[in-house]
Amino acid sequence: MSTIIATRRVVLSAGFGLTVALAALTASGATSPAAAREKLVINSYGGAYEQIHRKLVIEPFSKKYDVDVQVITAYSADALAQLRAQKAAPQFDVIHFSGGQEVVAAREGLIAPIKLNELSNGKDLYPFAVEGLSRGEGPVHAVAAIGLLYNKEKAKKPEKWADLWNAQYKDHVVLTDLSNSYGLLGFLMMNKVKGGDITNADPGFNAVKTLLDSAVVVATSPEMQQNFAQNDAWIAPYAQDYAYTLRKAGLPIEFVQGAEGTPAVYLTANLVANRPNQDLAKKFIDFSLSPEVQAGWAQELRYSPTNKATKLDETVAKEVIYGPDAVAGLIRFDPVAVDANRAALVERWKKLIAK
Amino acid sequence: MSLSTNTGSVGTPLLPPKGVSARVLGGIAEDATLSAPGVFLIILAFILPIGQMLLLSIEGASGGLTTEHFTRFLGDSYYLGIVWRTLRLSLLITVIAAVIGFPLAYVMAHVGPRLRLWLIILVILPLMTSVVVRTFGWMVLLGRGGLIPFTLWKLGLVNRNFTLMQTESAIVIGMVQVLLPFMTLSVLGVVMKIDRRLEEAARTMGASFTATLRTVVLPLAMPGIVAGSLLVFTLSVSSFITPSLLGGVRLPVVAGSIYEAATKTLEWNFAAAQSVILLVGVFLVLLPYLKLTGRRHG
Repeated sequence: MSTIIATRRVVLSAGFGLTVALAALTASGATSPAAAREKLVINSYGGAYEQIHRKLVIEPFSKKYDVDVQVITAYSADALAQLRAQKAAPQFDVIHFSGGQEVVAAREGLIAPIKLNELSNGKDLYPFAVEGLSRGEGPVHAVAAIGLLYNKEKAKKPEKWADLWNAQYKDHVVLTDLSNSYGLLGFLMMNKVKGGDITNADPGFNAVKTLLDSAVVVATSPEMQQNFAQNDAWIAPYAQDYAYTLRKAGLPIEFVQGAEGTPAVYLTANLVANRPNQDLAKKFIDFSLSPEVQAGWAQELRYSPTNKATKLDETVAKEVIYGPDAVAGLIRFDPVAVDANRAALVERWKKLIAK
Repeated sequence: MSLSTNTGSVGTPLLPPKGVSARVLGGIAEDATLSAPGVFLIILAFILPIGQMLLLSIEGASGGLTTEHFTRFLGDSYYLGIVWRTLRLSLLITVIAAVIGFPLAYVMAHVGPRLRLWLIILVILPLMTSVVVRTFGWMVLLGRGGLIPFTLWKLGLVNRNFTLMQTESAIVIGMVQVLLPFMTLSVLGVVMKIDRRLEEAARTMGASFTATLRTVVLPLAMPGIVAGSLLVFTLSVSSFITPSLLGGVRLPVVAGSIYEAATKTLEWNFAAAQSVILLVGVFLVLLPYLKLTGRRHG
């Protein structure tokens, strides 16, 4: 596999060299062509996310600055792998991560540091959104919060994560497999609530074990929906944005921030190192942080803003993490530690839940 | 198999001696040309990936060769439990498919050609829809409040919260539906070729209908049943969509475990090792069959 990719890259770069040589030949003597539009290469995550990304950020940005923005669909892990492979000649200008990969990328020198004063929106960002800048990471431009989804017509509103073990929800709890990143974050939070930490997951696993006899375990979002729609599910640790998806599907599902804290998926926009047009790339990142764009994300997908100046109407504001009090509850598990322990946690989980 | 019969017919003594070598050479060239696309495809899409998989399965973290992925799997009661569930369910699925498929094929062979065509269309029709769609249908039928649990509840057999989802029964029901056409069509092909006069003779000699089925039709249909069983068995040990959707994450099967390792935890070497184990397992099942049919066809 790696050899195949390597050969393809050799062929590509050889082809590129040839093209450059040809271009040099044909262009020699002629006057330089009309200045081509500047171009940015970025990644997005595909699907509905990418559609909204184009509508809110990419298209308005390219119109405002009269530049081309090329989008390559690549999930976080894949995007990091591509950055590593292209280290000698990076092909992206702005790279978005959702799984904490920016920590690794910054450590490996794949992304370049941004100074807070280089971002016009920097001063309005919550501290958690810019704390990574000092480590060379990009700012957080959106947050998908993990909390408790519950059926408001059938169940009493839960208040804290520990309510999952409350007898009144018995037989109506849905847990998510750890192979799902929302499931992993939810589990880490349950583990934390029960007194564990990332290197000691015994409390979490022991606590989940007591739930297993009366809970359903799902692996994917559609299964979560099916359980709420059909299987009489009342409560489940999951993501705030998905609660909105369920409401749009007509289900009476609300999201609650557990009192013990709110773990979340932090979406970051990062500046790729060793690229020629970093100034434009910084403008793109800055654009992603603007109150208007962030209000759009909250409106469309219920991702929470990281910019204090973001104005949301009342309905939307209630359905995202909004305002200093709510933001204070956000928790971030160390992405490097999570990544290092992921495979072991997933295997232990599988062994625990297997009948 | 077909290759050997081809070359056999070329070498018959009916051909004039002078032309033999030219004919044989021409035959080989023709065979090679005709089979080239298939052989090319097999090398590209089967031999190469399998080789790559074998390599991956013995590749260590630092690049050296290792058997750790195999010992991890074979030395862990959790993974052996997955293998046991996969084998047990696949055998059950195969037996049920044979029990349903054989009578169906027998009836299809005996009705008029027009009705048979319709029955064949009915059997094949489900194959035209995606497995995922059909499985989602089962999820609705088997889930809490779905048609089957609801009926059972109304009959007073189960309580209201009863569900068949995320049970081994759900996997078996879903898989039998998906794989039944393979069994039925395999058996049909063989039953159609059984001389009807044999059955008539048996009946004339005083055998009952069931005795005729048991002593005449069933033995003669055996090659079809065996072929269908092998198809169903190998397809069911290697399928993961239906088991993972109907059985859920708490009833893992080997193919699902491979999928998880390859796509979720990104342990490709471990996934490859599991695939090799599955492949060897399927070969072990196929081997006696190949020997058996090999002997039968000479």
